[in-house]
Amino acid sequence: MELFFQQLTNGLAVGGIYALIALGYTMVYGVLKLINFAHGDLFTIGAYLGLTLLTSMSLTDRLGPTFGVLMLAVMVMMLVGLVGILLDQAAYKPLRTSPRLSAVVSALGASIFFQNTIMLIYGARFHVYPQDILPNVVINLFGMPVPLVRILILLTSVVMMVALYAFIQKTKVGTAIRAAAEDQGAARLMGIDVNGVIMIVFFIGPALGGAAGLMVGLYYGQVNFTMGWIYGLKAFTAAILGGIGNIPGAMVGGILLGVIEALGAAYISIAWKDAIAFLVLILILIVRPTGLLGERVAEKV
Amino acid sequence: MMKDRRTIIYTVIVVALLFAPLYLNRYWVDVLNSVGLYAILGLSLNIILGYGGMFHMGHAAFYAVGAYTTAIISTRYGVPVLWLMPLSGFLAALFALIVARPIIHLRGDYLLIVTIGMVEIVRIALINDVFGITGGANGIFGIPRPEIFGYKIRLPHQFYYLIFAFAAVTVYLFRRLENSRFGRALTYLREDEVAAEGSGINTARYKLMAFVLGAFWAGMVGTIFASKMTIVSPASFSFWESVVMFMVVILGGAGAIPGVILGSFLVVGLPELFRGFANTRMLIFGAAMVLMMIFRTQGILPPRPREYPIEDEPEPASESEVSS
Amino acid sequence: MKKILLLTLAFCFLAAGAAFGADTVKIGLMGPMTGPWASEGQEMKQVLDLLAGDINEAGGLNGMQVEIIAEDDAGDPRQASLAATRLTTMDIVAVIGTYGSSITEATQNIYDESSIIQVANGSTAIRLTEKGLEYFFRTCPRDDEQGKVAAQTIKDLGFKKVAILHDNTSYAKGLAGETQGLLKNEGGMDIVFFEALTPGERDYNTILTKMKAVKPDCVFFTGYYPEAGLLLRQKNEMGWDVPFIGGDATNHPDLVKIAGKDSAQGFYFVSAPLPRDLDTPEAKSFVSDFQSQYGNAPQSIYAVLAGDGFRVVAEAIRQTKSTDKDKLADYLHEELTDFSGLTGAISFNEKGDRVGKVYRVYQVDENGDFILQP
Repeated sequence: MELFFQQLTNGLAVGGIYALIALGYTMVYGVLKLINFAHGDLFTIGAYLGLTLLTSMSLTDRLGPTFGVLMLAVMVMMLVGLVGILLDQAAYKPLRTSPRLSAVVSALGASIFFQNTIMLIYGARFHVYPQDILPNVVINLFGMPVPLVRILILLTSVVMMVALYAFIQKTKVGTAIRAAAEDQGAARLMGIDVNGVIMIVFFIGPALGGAAGLMVGLYYGQVNFTMGWIYGLKAFTAAILGGIGNIPGAMVGGILLGVIEALGAAYISIAWKDAIAFLVLILILIVRPTGLLGERVAEKV
Repeated sequence: MMKDRRTIIYTVIVVALLFAPLYLNRYWVDVLNSVGLYAILGLSLNIILGYGGMFHMGHAAFYAVGAYTTAIISTRYGVPVLWLMPLSGFLAALFALIVARPIIHLRGDYLLIVTIGMVEIVRIALINDVFGITGGANGIFGIPRPEIFGYKIRLPHQFYYLIFAFAAVTVYLFRRLENSRFGRALTYLREDEVAAEGSGINTARYKLMAFVLGAFWAGMVGTIFASKMTIVSPASFSFWESVVMFMVVILGGAGAIPGVILGSFLVVGLPELFRGFANTRMLIFGAAMVLMMIFRTQGILPPRPREYPIEDEPEPASESEVSS
Repeated sequence: MKKILLLTLAFCFLAAGAAFGADTVKIGLMGPMTGPWASEGQEMKQVLDLLAGDINEAGGLNGMQVEIIAEDDAGDPRQASLAATRLTTMDIVAVIGTYGSSITEATQNIYDESSIIQVANGSTAIRLTEKGLEYFFRTCPRDDEQGKVAAQTIKDLGFKKVAILHDNTSYAKGLAGETQGLLKNEGGMDIVFFEALTPGERDYNTILTKMKAVKPDCVFFTGYYPEAGLLLRQKNEMGWDVPFIGGDATNHPDLVKIAGKDSAQGFYFVSAPLPRDLDTPEAKSFVSDFQSQYGNAPQSIYAVLAGDGFRVVAEAIRQTKSTDKDKLADYLHEELTDFSGLTGAISFNEKGDRVGKVYRVYQVDENGDFILQP
């Protein structure tokens, strides 16, 4: 039983990251019905920018670990958010009225572009974060040793998601985003600046992805230019699992995917872990065609 | 008049391609081989994605089933490779029938991820040596080269004519298909599923047929691929392969046979043209993809609206939509 | 319509331009310049450029300048076969590369059919040299050789319950299988765990937790250094002090960077010796030249093995005073003995495999340095 809980915490930590990246997919999809395949690479950019800022500005030395990391996170999120807006303006905006799959191919092209840009700037080798930033404390949770950092990661993800949810539900801008997601035309008629909304969405989604990249860098230490592809695919899976376009769905989907992977690896087979996760996804979608929390769109009959 | 011009241009291209091995060196012929294989794969995916409008990003799974069928049977039982083409196609189609049945009712993006999941599951199964016959990560090697009437196909230009011939047959048949009852039903279904259903089209059946047919063709391409490479391994059937096929169809212009062929030239040929740029070649390729999509939002050569010979055809519809 | 015509014509024109040179010896390099193994391929190119530059400065090979023609295989079989076909049109004498075994396999026939000598640098899968290809050589040893050394090391260190972890790549699975077979034949050895992880991920806690539950004496990981580094780091974090042993794909300074010195300390791996551990003048001057040219010591042992591939080909051309493929192949098979390579003495057997004991055992010390074990 202890083993089960141990694996559960392993899955939760991984799932928290998936969820954070999945939010970016889901927000963009909610408003634009666009699968942003370059989102995983924005995550990578976050990881690399974090590394550059950390080593070049030595924030943690000057401000102490807590403030330093917070400051770093804010800067990374800002920058990656800006990259997100630029990406939208350059690669997606001209395709707003064209078939949806055209934008998907544009996104794939952008993904190839980003990945290779990172490779050319930073080189193809693995890069490593300094190791002494996060405290290496192991706490005892119900008689089970769990590294504090792992709990912090999950906590940070949850806090960000709750904050985002509150922002979407409670603020005026959030309402505008929801309105644009519901019906862009109608939202425009109600005087909502839909282009502004899209910009905000393309800022927040990538910013969260960038934050996830920073977290992965800080915790796992090792980053390289291809890392975004796998994380991106997993997060996209998570977003679909929860019901794409639905913010709590992304959270649930991410966490669930992490847990399914961990338990599948622990009790069935490590090598088949991803296949098991996809199989569960397919089964869930067969039963619930729009994901766990996705709105029930009646089949057009 | 337009029609004549088009005929002339297509003839010039076909003749240029027919004699390509005379003026191209072995490497460029081999690039054309790759382009040809992906063009056929793209055409087979086009039935599902272009005509049927189903977001299918897992076509490499069917391709893999075909290639592995050929590899396993030819290396174990010594059956000549080309004989295995129909069987490879059939097994790929059967596989498609089984996996597509429960998922074809899924809406666009949900279908997309499920097909991605399918191709990943297939790859993981291959890598883990499922049933002990796929050779795991090593794959299967020593696949014999094809033979036609005792003439062994070995070198790039020999393969070129095999692939060229297969592509020509494919284009001919798929053109017929496009204008057949089946093709028209699929297009109708893509444009308006409700109306199609209302007109008495059994949507589920037609969608499934599209999958089966597309998979059959991809499986046959798998045979050629396996015998050309003489080795198949899971690395050749990754999710990225599916993405490449997807890009071939969409970039060229989903639903249009000339568009898909051109898409294959661009997606598979361009990275080769950019080899001179060494490490930056993929960066340039990525940027080129985005630019091509932005400037031709419907794809480079989208399907022409169905025309009836009453008067001169206006400029293709896509031109005016770009400016809007 | 015009556009397609123009595109097609442009394509044909661009394609038709292949130039021919004189008075140079062209040596091909096929390596992963892009894609997940790009760092290996790019360093292979650095090594070859350096070595070719040295030869050209000293007057060339038999008076001819050496030209390196590098092609990208992107670590993908299909692209590799195109790269190989392209190289066969470039009038090259020999090709060095490539890294992954299945990638090399996709190109073997292409080079063989064009009678081009291929010297693989990182492809250790056994079957590559079991096909009787006359022009195929490799400077890296085979998996069975490495498996023997790994099994012996595990036995010598006194471990009984062994966990073996691979990553489902052709190479790692082969090595894992070889070692497992050898250990099973030994009395008293118990393989308590044999599984594969998914390379390219970041979090391997699940696997470590699962492995820990079967309480092995040691873990033998046959995969690559990025995953090995993460495994060591996460193992340390969970407070598990089982010894880890790695295959030669873990021989990379980035291993220690990724794991951190604390976590990497005590890690064993088997590998061809590092150039700095060889006392031959060639190895010494190579390391210092590389250092001054590129600002760091060579990182990847495979890149250095590519350098050895280049050097044996150059030696064969020099000695036979010819670029005839058959003469060169004969020379490499039969006459080249104990050539002083950057990674030790090199001779090839009739299959094209490198003979002799190449593998050594290394351990990481508390400063993160790789210490050659006696």
